[in-house]
Amino acid sequence: MSRRSDRAGLLVIMAGLLAPHAALSHAALIEAETAQAIRLHAVYDTGAPMSHAQVIIYAPDDPARPWGQGVADRDGRFDFIPDATEGRWTVQVRQAGHGAIAHVQLHGDAPVMLTAPRATGWLERAVMVALVAWGALGTILFALRRKGRHDASS
Amino acid sequence: MLVRTVFPALVALAPLSVSAGTSTLFASGEDLATEGVNAPRLSRDGWALQFSHITATFDQITAWQTAPPFMADGEEISGMPLRIGGPFTVDPVDADARDRVAVTMRDAVPGHYNALSRALVPGADGYSPVLDGVARKNGQVVPSTLRTSDSVAHVCGECPGDVRKGFVTADAGSGLEITLHPDHRFGRADRADDAESNLSAAGFDRFAAGGMHGIARDWLHPDHLGEGHCHVASL
Repeated sequence: MSRRSDRAGLLVIMAGLLAPHAALSHAALIEAETAQAIRLHAVYDTGAPMSHAQVIIYAPDDPARPWGQGVADRDGRFDFIPDATEGRWTVQVRQAGHGAIAHVQLHGDAPVMLTAPRATGWLERAVMVALVAWGALGTILFALRRKGRHDASS
Repeated sequence: MLVRTVFPALVALAPLSVSAGTSTLFASGEDLATEGVNAPRLSRDGWALQFSHITATFDQITAWQTAPPFMADGEEISGMPLRIGGPFTVDPVDADARDRVAVTMRDAVPGHYNALSRALVPGADGYSPVLDGVARKNGQVVPSTLRTSDSVAHVCGECPGDVRKGFVTADAGSGLEITLHPDHRFGRADRADDAESNLSAAGFDRFAAGGMHGIARDWLHPDHLGEGHCHVASL
């Protein structure tokens, strides 16, 4: 991931914060915040996943320069946490000379809109990008935070 | 090698540059056109291919600013057009150091040109594209020409690539590119038979007798050519 998306990740998980402690022993707290994430699932029209495909993300306020980049997992899935910039986020997925571009429209609390290509014929070895989840990662992190608080107070 | 008696007038390799407030159209067959299909990137059935010419004629070219972005789900496209016109015949084998042929340049309204429509039409000799070259495999040397007289219209969305293209500003121009991918139809021997790059690739065995071969548009005109996903229609 790029530096900007790393920062976004750091907003979500802040680890290693030292807690005040009177004793000489060390204590550590882990704090976590919930966040809404975009989870993309990149597959060919055959249904095969775009395993380990290259992913490049462009933010609405600077669409000509990458905001972040990474690699999809073996199932073709990729999560990222956009910053507060509203508008059209663009995600490009490429593998072995094939690729697709999808657009995710974010406006405040409005529903997330995804525009992505779809296969139209048997000749087309198309790549499809689907928005799989919005907020699922936040749910996971919420569970982690609950657990972290419990551990810190025990 | 079979030599065509009528050679279409090619777009001159003029040193067009990408200037502020302009959009320059390039055509490219990438290094597969300029350097050929060589090991380890042989065709899926093991042929090395060296092209002497790949000529293609494009007409009715228009670049578009579309919002929402065009997704190739139909032939209808709307937005702000930049008429480029045509016909232009290009040979991506005779390209610059970046494997591109500069086709033409137009003054352009600033914005993001994220779609391109054009027709692939027969050239002056009645065919387009035409692939002239020599194939080699296990000591066989097979001069051949593959060509089609079909016409087809493509309306294509934004192209995924290393650099996002199509942005024109008051301070900078943009480059738009028509990209042809020879490996998409010949396939890749360095990848598995069931790899996506080989599933729709026909290879070269069917042309191993050499000479002139007519090819159907379905063989040579995939639904996405490098500009992104395309809607395809016969003309």
